[in-house]
Amino acid sequence: MSITELVYPRGKVAGPYPALPTRRDEAYVDFIADARNFLLHAQQRPIGQYSREIMLKAGVPQTADPAATRQSINVLMADPALKTYYRVKRSLQEAFWNRLQSAFGGRREQLMAALDEADKQGPGSVEYDPKTPIPDYAQTQIHLQPRGYSAEPLAGLLYDFGLKVFLGGAADNDMVSTMSVRAAAKPEDGRVSRVLDLGASAGATTTAFKRAYPDAEVHGIDVSAAMVRYAHLRAVEQNIDVHFKQMLAEDMRYPDGHFDVVFALLFFHEVPVPIARRVIAEAFRVLRPGGTFTVLDFSGDRGRDVYSMFFAEMDAADNGEPFLPGFIRSNIEDLMSAAGFVMRAYNPMDQGAALRTGRVGVKP
Amino acid sequence: MSEKAKNPADSLDYVRDLPGFQPNNPVYFDNEVVDHLIGIVLELGAEIWVLRDRQVHLEELLADKGVDLRAALEKGRPAAATEVLLKIEREAMIKRIYGRLYSRYGGDKVEQATAPM
Repeated sequence: MSITELVYPRGKVAGPYPALPTRRDEAYVDFIADARNFLLHAQQRPIGQYSREIMLKAGVPQTADPAATRQSINVLMADPALKTYYRVKRSLQEAFWNRLQSAFGGRREQLMAALDEADKQGPGSVEYDPKTPIPDYAQTQIHLQPRGYSAEPLAGLLYDFGLKVFLGGAADNDMVSTMSVRAAAKPEDGRVSRVLDLGASAGATTTAFKRAYPDAEVHGIDVSAAMVRYAHLRAVEQNIDVHFKQMLAEDMRYPDGHFDVVFALLFFHEVPVPIARRVIAEAFRVLRPGGTFTVLDFSGDRGRDVYSMFFAEMDAADNGEPFLPGFIRSNIEDLMSAAGFVMRAYNPMDQGAALRTGRVGVKP
Repeated sequence: MSEKAKNPADSLDYVRDLPGFQPNNPVYFDNEVVDHLIGIVLELGAEIWVLRDRQVHLEELLADKGVDLRAALEKGRPAAATEVLLKIEREAMIKRIYGRLYSRYGGDKVEQATAPM
């Protein structure tokens, strides 16, 4: 059977995503997505206001420091309405993953056969070694995804579909990836021959780079073999010539000065700060002089108040984001600067800028 | 890699005390039954929606074929084989929705039992 027959027996939805195996699965996930939209996303403003009023009455300092954050957790998580919100958030997340796992898990044999078939096909390539040791930090069940990114052979597909639902349609037709690639800074001399996408996951950003820079050689790396295999299948299915490799971003096998552009979309908040420092040093090493390193991720703690940090710490716990608070407090633009990058203008007080235009470092 | 980086727990200390950190059925409320009830209500909503979606789709398919089975649906009953299938699905649904009430001691994982004679 062809890859299309094995992975997409009910066709595709919203661009590159395989339709769920049954209409029943689709209806269930539709419910979860709509429930998330109302019970989580639509609550942000009122629940933020409610939380801030409670903290004000309790005299919690508005600062973003750890002591204030700890105090805010104690005060806010004593409130029944807030307990309910976080319970609902957790329950919806677990219900979604359970359904997705059982839905695609029921077609495991066909999906694994498709991954095997895609390994042999082009355009582009995939390299991985099932014996690669996976660091402990990379075995965390980010977003509560069952078995994490490495231990589950279908992790790439689960992650891809998960992101589609979590972003509430923004990832449809690879819109988020396409927009993000537009934010990637070009070198001053305009030369973009080789591009590297760190933490490529399902490969949507990597393929978006190839569409934006059709003459460039585009590489995507990820710690997980399951991820790079699915990313390659996804690229093959779109007939896009990109190269995926299972590789640790903190220990890359590329030569010095190899790339013109290195990019990381929502990658750094998924690794501990000591690893982030090593990744940045490696990005510096593999870039040529004048090459750019663009990081699109959450803002640091300089523009945040206590509620913003409370929300991040709760996400760490409720949504399997254990490294998020540490990432925020690290103010990654400082780490990039310390590694030798010359930073382009960035306003740390503008929280939206971190995801809209990102932090850009140039290798001198 | 440093020893600190090797052990993710070192980086998890700041969230260890939060209710959601525990991977298996975290408890947010003083009375954990409240946690279960919220999960049950959400799951029931999903199941109701799945049925409604299916019913509307079914009615549309039948109408497309010029078949009106509403009277038969009101008065008839499924074939024996379908009844068996429905029983299997019903048991699975009950376990899925209400099993978590007994998750504290693993009762949600037990296999379906037959009623005592």
